[in-house]
Amino acid sequence: MSENPEASITQEQRQAYIDKYGLTPAEAGHEMLIQMIEDHFAEGLETEVEPFPETDREFGALLDQLRPLSADQLREKLVISGWLLQPYGEDQMRCQECMYYLVHKRWCDLPELDLPAKPEWWCRLWRI
Amino acid sequence: MANLLWLQGGACSGNTMSFLNAEEPSACDLVTDFGINVLWQPSLGLELGDQVKEIVEKCISGEIKLDIFVFEGTVINAPNGTGEWNRFCGRPMKDWVKELSAVADFVVAIGDCATYGGIPATAPNPSESVGLQFLKRDKGGALGEGFAAKSGLPVINIPGCPAHPDWVTQILVAVATGRAGDLTLDEFHRPKTFFSSFTQTGCTRNMHFAYKVSTTAFGQRKGCLFYDLGCRGPMTHSPCNRILWNRHSSKTRAGMPCLGCTEPEFPFFDLAPGTVFKTQTVMGVPKDMPEGVDKKGYIKLTAAAKGAAPAWAEEDIFVV
Repeated sequence: MSENPEASITQEQRQAYIDKYGLTPAEAGHEMLIQMIEDHFAEGLETEVEPFPETDREFGALLDQLRPLSADQLREKLVISGWLLQPYGEDQMRCQECMYYLVHKRWCDLPELDLPAKPEWWCRLWRI
Repeated sequence: MANLLWLQGGACSGNTMSFLNAEEPSACDLVTDFGINVLWQPSLGLELGDQVKEIVEKCISGEIKLDIFVFEGTVINAPNGTGEWNRFCGRPMKDWVKELSAVADFVVAIGDCATYGGIPATAPNPSESVGLQFLKRDKGGALGEGFAAKSGLPVINIPGCPAHPDWVTQILVAVATGRAGDLTLDEFHRPKTFFSSFTQTGCTRNMHFAYKVSTTAFGQRKGCLFYDLGCRGPMTHSPCNRILWNRHSSKTRAGMPCLGCTEPEFPFFDLAPGTVFKTQTVMGVPKDMPEGVDKKGYIKLTAAAKGAAPAWAEEDIFVV
């Protein structure tokens, strides 16, 4: 996708996905991607939940970081977007109410993420 | 027979181009069917130089009765209030505008520049542009808040970038045929017949608005353009989806967010980078709500709508 070395998955990371799942995130279907995401968190993945992008400039800056990532860079996508497997904040924000969430497809339609998600999950790119 | 004079200030000629595309009635119909005598128009007039000046001077002196004065573009006051940056027939255009407005039965401002200042009047407004009777939302403009044409009406504002051609010709016909009394204007002098409903009224994406499914990239035919791509359809007064453009489409139908060009504040957010095609939010919630909706209600509505949305709302349902 991108020439940027940081914007591509390393051979090691690729092999780790193949060893564990038999394929990489770019090749995985809906259920397998859900599994991969949950496994990342089960293994202790910490994502950048804060700061929440308060302005569109800040929001755009996060999109700029996500845009060069390849579909295989699942872990990086989760970290940058501040992905969580539960609702967040006082208002208990969650994917279910987010504008980018397709409730029937259970999918985040934000082009820069383009990942499956469960209704109770959340990330800091949430907007309604 | 009604004499019409059309002049242009700080403008791109977009409203003239739009006007020439009018269909109901057409620009030609104005002359042949409705008795409008076009004294001069910048793109159509045959006269040049001193010949134009003579027409304009005769209007001001009363030798030629001026029934309708149409102005397109901003009134330019730069530099330093002199108006010298926009000279016409040997003097600043702003002086002609004042004198012609004083003798005309009706003054009609066409397009966002002439009505409210539009893009040229956006900060820092180097041309010191104003609209005829407004600068953005503030009353005043070039002619002053108290101005009324000889008919008693203030400037009739037909905003838009450009204004829809049929809004222009229909208002001109109403005025030229003695039906100006039927016109009621809103607080920004827009004819209510066109500017009471919203751009969203009649939008083909309304189902997606209702079910809170967003268009997330240009070119998508599913989804509503309000949530992410900065569409101002729910809070912009215009009939763009009632009186269609070229008789068959509109910005939103073609997948282009409404920019709110019939509102006095246009262009919004002073065109700051990242504001034109992006819905402005605070902590994920839109800054500008659909008119009449508050934040609490919006959040409740979103939760309910997402919960009730049918599967088809997530698909591209448009067909060619």
